[in-house]
Amino acid sequence: MLSYILRRLLFLPVVLFGITILIFMLISTLGPWTRVATFVPSPDAERHVDLEAMIKKYHLDDPPVKMYLRWVNNLLHGNLGWSQSSHMTVTEAIRRRFPATLELTLFSVIPVIIGGIILGVISAVHHNKPIDHTTRIMAIALWSLPDFVLGLAVLMVGFGVLGWFPPGRLSSWAQLEVLKESFRSFTGMYTLDALLNLRLDIFWDALRHIIAPVITLSCLWWAFMLRITRSSMLDVLNQDYVRTARAKGLAEAVVIKKHALSNALIPVTTVAGNMLLGLMGGVVIVETVFNYSGLGLLTSTAATRLDVPCVVGVAIFYATILVLVNLVVDVLYSIIDPRVRLE
Amino acid sequence: MEIFRRLVKNRISLFGLILLVLFVLIAIAAPWLAPPKEGSDPYRIPRRGWTLEPTPPSAKYPLGLTQGQYDIYYGIVWGTRTAFRVGIIVISFRALIGIILGSISAYYGGILDEVLMRFTDIFMSFPYLIGVVVFVAIFGPGLNNVMIPLIALGWMPYARMIRGNILAIKQEEYVLAARAIGANDFKIITRHILPNTIFPVLIQASMQIGSIVISVSGLSFLGLGAPEGYADWGQMLSFARNWMLGEQGNVLKYWFTVIYPGLAMVLFVLSWNLIGDAFRDIMDPRIQA
Repeated sequence: MLSYILRRLLFLPVVLFGITILIFMLISTLGPWTRVATFVPSPDAERHVDLEAMIKKYHLDDPPVKMYLRWVNNLLHGNLGWSQSSHMTVTEAIRRRFPATLELTLFSVIPVIIGGIILGVISAVHHNKPIDHTTRIMAIALWSLPDFVLGLAVLMVGFGVLGWFPPGRLSSWAQLEVLKESFRSFTGMYTLDALLNLRLDIFWDALRHIIAPVITLSCLWWAFMLRITRSSMLDVLNQDYVRTARAKGLAEAVVIKKHALSNALIPVTTVAGNMLLGLMGGVVIVETVFNYSGLGLLTSTAATRLDVPCVVGVAIFYATILVLVNLVVDVLYSIIDPRVRLE
Repeated sequence: MEIFRRLVKNRISLFGLILLVLFVLIAIAAPWLAPPKEGSDPYRIPRRGWTLEPTPPSAKYPLGLTQGQYDIYYGIVWGTRTAFRVGIIVISFRALIGIILGSISAYYGGILDEVLMRFTDIFMSFPYLIGVVVFVAIFGPGLNNVMIPLIALGWMPYARMIRGNILAIKQEEYVLAARAIGANDFKIITRHILPNTIFPVLIQASMQIGSIVISVSGLSFLGLGAPEGYADWGQMLSFARNWMLGEQGNVLKYWFTVIYPGLAMVLFVLSWNLIGDAFRDIMDPRIQA
């Protein structure tokens, strides 16, 4: 067990090294002017100094290895450069936008897990019955809906026709309230902060804004989870120990809950990492559709304005989180399923 | 053939197959369905005017004109070709890279295998949509600049699958026999191992075409993929963004800018997914019972 975790931990820096090398190689193809921006902490220096001096100052004519090391050193100190599209340092931009995205992702995980797993189990238990066919067709249909098409449709109906789910993160009155001194910011996630400040009106407003992007973001993964749970559950239900449990006269509900489900959920946990990866990618489009100012909107705006330092900063931030999450998932997985450790 | 018979027999996948054949026919017949102007690039959607506001469907333009008077009908017909082209190019290169690296890794094993698989892990731990965005931010928007990173960040599952399949059959007697009679490595890989492992991987790969078309269109929608006026469904939907809330008292006034290109995309992806889902059940021996 310990050696397994240790092996996984040792692999962590290797992955991060690989990712930074990949990105560094891409950046190296840029001209010195653009590249300078990834090293400068603020644009003031850029305005007054000429190109030659800048290149000298930041040692941009050094051999690649030296440049790479300096860049990584900057990254480790949290200096990700200056973002032109948001007029602040990349680190600051990420720090401000991340809570919004985290909030959106956390809210999206709930319907995915509850809806996907429960329906998956029901579908498998009633294999090839009408309810199985219905949920399956529904899942395929949802899976085929591109997130931006779904997003546009949800916005059109939810805001345009019904007026329930406005775009953005907060209404303007609530935005003003949040910026006041009396409103303490604990996490940056408006729903949670509003509750902690005992402001139900703001909580309600934040909730109304977040529902539409959550629906859009979770639909696809909801369908994905349903498929995985269904096939894993079908597999388990055919196993001998389930037959034994039935043969000794246990009630069907007990067989499913106690014997089948806990084993069927093992493969489901492995895709949790995949799901997070997908959700994090998905926010780029969903946040843009709903004008929800999180990391996704930051990324897409930066990309359309060719703001390289910002996009690169977000990518590295994402990759780091992802590697950590995958590590946690793997360790959890090895705790749940002892067979994994034996590899 | 057995597989095909079962696909036709299943009503759900038959529906998928019919849809897919329909799209293939549209793609082939595009020059007749929506004849491009003499001498102009057929993938540029013609503009029927210069006002910004979309025009509702009429007898002359059956699906209406979207923002900037781009012809929606024309865009959907030629967009079908774009969808197939993008999907097929990305999938073929992904499968090719996956097959090469996966078979080398499995066949030689040892250190080479270890290095290649760690390489695969590194690529896998990158959120690929973000990777594409990084690439576009550096090299500028465009359909090709979206497809390249999609290939570079998408071959890993195939490499792993091929590797697993090869490891499973490497010790089979016919491979050992080929080695015993002195066949060289290249010949053993290409003549004996690949034909027995490649088929399931190629099928799995082709089923991904739907989701690739979603990714590429999504990027076009963000303005990172196809340029304005290019016959691409995602690009056409990005026009709709400014008009989807209609006007005071008539919210659904510009419904056609969303519904038609959206419907084309959904049906295209649906056709692949319906077939793919039936395939999964056919190929999965565990669900036979």
